[in-house]
Amino acid sequence: MSDIQELPDGTRIIWAPIVKPKPYAFVTQVLGEVLLTAGVILMLFVGYKTLFQDSLVGNQQSEFAKNFTESDGFVPLDEVTKEADIFGRMYVPRFGESWTRLIAEGTRWHPVLNEIGIGHYSNTVMPGEVGNFSIAAHRGGFGGAFRDIDKLTNGDRVYIETKETWFIYKFLETEVVLPTDVGVIDAVPEKLDGATYGSRYLTMTSCTPIFINTERIISWFELERTQNTAAGMPRDLKIVVGSK
Amino acid sequence: MYSWLWRKLPGSRMQKILQAALLTAVALAAMCFFVFPWLDEVVFPETNTDI
Repeated sequence: MSDIQELPDGTRIIWAPIVKPKPYAFVTQVLGEVLLTAGVILMLFVGYKTLFQDSLVGNQQSEFAKNFTESDGFVPLDEVTKEADIFGRMYVPRFGESWTRLIAEGTRWHPVLNEIGIGHYSNTVMPGEVGNFSIAAHRGGFGGAFRDIDKLTNGDRVYIETKETWFIYKFLETEVVLPTDVGVIDAVPEKLDGATYGSRYLTMTSCTPIFINTERIISWFELERTQNTAAGMPRDLKIVVGSK
Repeated sequence: MYSWLWRKLPGSRMQKILQAALLTAVALAAMCFFVFPWLDEVVFPETNTDI
């Protein structure tokens, strides 16, 4: 409510009552601003997880893999005993010509998947052995090493460099399964069409849908050939990634 | 809270805008490099991946 008074010279004066601030108005204003700020920070955290950290950690893992030299030394396959023992480096041309990650023992987030990138299920065989060499990596967050696992297709190959041998696996099939379908990493993988005893499989596992993680995406490969590390990088891979 | 901060910033309106932008950038950097990594450890503690 206000009153308007007009003076003879035409000046208008508006009379308005003084409103006494309600009790706790300052407290509720500050509380509201704090809650709004908290909401913005939470949204920023989501952005940090999905964009900033993912990209930052991905680059770190990639650089770590590229700069991992002979002097650092891969642990020989028959001497891998401890968690986070780094025994191999993986190349997947389908993920990009510069894509590479190290493979370490164990599948815990720390210190393997978050820092190194790819982890080996300790209850499965090592590369090249009869059975199912199974590995895991994040799909999104912490570098998302296997972000493009759903893009693998017929004709794709993955290359695993170890201390003495290159292992080249060819793509077989991709399936989406439930987290409880642990048989997919068995020596004869469940759900893999035509799986037989005596074969040498590679199973890549990750979460799906990306950032939702209610299911698991599985890609199976079979050993195609091996090559001595002394002979250098496989020629077909060299064409894709260039000389080391 | 924010109006109090705004009043405390010295200088003209443009200088206040620049200072506010700088403070926001510093706060964002602190969150990305210190607060969020810590928060990440708290929200997503060490976990085994189930296949």
